[in-house]
Amino acid sequence: MDITGALYILFKILIFPGLLFAVVIGLFLAGLDRKLLARMQKRVGPPLRQPLFDFLKLLGKETIVPHAANKTVYLAAPVVGFTALIVLALFIPVFGYSTFSGNGDLIVILYLLTIPAVALIVGGSSSGSPYAGIGISREMVTMMSYELPLVVVLLTVARKVGGSALCFSLGDIVSWQAENGCLAFHPAMIPALLAMLLVIPAEVGTQPFDVAEAETEICEGPLIEYSGAPLAVFKLNTAVKMFIMTALFANLFFGGIETGYVALDAVIMVAICALVTFFSMTLIHAVTARLKIEHLFKFYWTVVAGLAALSLILVWVGL
Amino acid sequence: MLKNAIAKSMSRSPWIYHVNTGSCNGCDIELVAVLTPRYDAERFGFKLSGTPRHADIVVISGPVTTQSKDRLVRTLAQVPEPKVVVTLGSCPQSGNVFKGSYSVEAPVEKFVHVDVAIAGCTPKPEAVIAGLYKAAEILQKKREAMTK
Repeated sequence: MDITGALYILFKILIFPGLLFAVVIGLFLAGLDRKLLARMQKRVGPPLRQPLFDFLKLLGKETIVPHAANKTVYLAAPVVGFTALIVLALFIPVFGYSTFSGNGDLIVILYLLTIPAVALIVGGSSSGSPYAGIGISREMVTMMSYELPLVVVLLTVARKVGGSALCFSLGDIVSWQAENGCLAFHPAMIPALLAMLLVIPAEVGTQPFDVAEAETEICEGPLIEYSGAPLAVFKLNTAVKMFIMTALFANLFFGGIETGYVALDAVIMVAICALVTFFSMTLIHAVTARLKIEHLFKFYWTVVAGLAALSLILVWVGL
Repeated sequence: MLKNAIAKSMSRSPWIYHVNTGSCNGCDIELVAVLTPRYDAERFGFKLSGTPRHADIVVISGPVTTQSKDRLVRTLAQVPEPKVVVTLGSCPQSGNVFKGSYSVEAPVEKFVHVDVAIAGCTPKPEAVIAGLYKAAEILQKKREAMTK
């Protein structure tokens, strides 16, 4: 490989669809969420840059490792989660423009999406706090709850795009939508779209689905013993996850509206991400209170999985 | 440059941890009132955290009963540096109406370093916000002194 090719790949990994872009947009979406929530509660609210301030402040704090903790695992867990998210960002195309693409990248995305949650579970359990113990057991149940509807939604999209061959390539899904219109405008896909909108807040962990990190109840659960830089990385993970999930949504359901200019595409995608953040996270957060873990499980395996399955059946019979 | 940015964001995102050391609950309610939509301390980045590990500002209310003194000292030891200690109300400063009681250890300055003292029984929410904002500025100065 020649030097310019290597530099171009490095640019992709570190700057444009990778590290810098994902972090900046993630922090922007997190700030937007907090600001809009405050405005809906008739508050002035924190500035848009608040998540950035939180991140920088936590970097400057002392890092305490508890006596009961396994130091290596405790410190490595947030970094593992963050790395998985950045790799994910490379798999998610900005409509037509992607770093890695292939035949089964939707399946790779599905597997990579579990790694940040697993990192949270492993990090929390290595801290040795009983609050973290409660938190990780809830996080595991949350994971089981949203995973089923998510898989069914992805299967629905694959069937709709690929027919009986099942298309699991995100690049092909986007280009199919460019020809046949956005999947959001196909009537059979509407229940799947709603299910995906409900999967996003559970995946990111915002109220009312933040049972694992319930701040007022079990003091942020798995994060309870974390302080300083590792906590900063965990907070950053949540912000980047917001971007990843909303961008995945944009590609799955609004893939067809690319203009051909990468910069303009990126702006359109960020706008869709912001809209999805508002409807799936901020709005639900503002009007609901936290669920109990058994209610969350029941809700996802009946209502959300039901919506996704309805869509799957409609697509399977050829609508 | 990063050092400056970190020091500056110290005062823009202070997280509060609240310790009740036998308070009558009056000051605690006023502290919560500061975080409600009417006074909205979140516009300065204030956030109530549930664990001392996430805290930047520790708010102490109550006259520090003998039972809670040891717990208070141990809780403060768990807060990562830099940290700022704020006393809320007259009780931790002087003991207020409980002064002279066999089970009250106030003033809290005897065993904890206090950075900001908000007086009043109970202090008005405006006074609480002013005190917390001052504490956030002290937090930034402490961070700058740490990296010098």
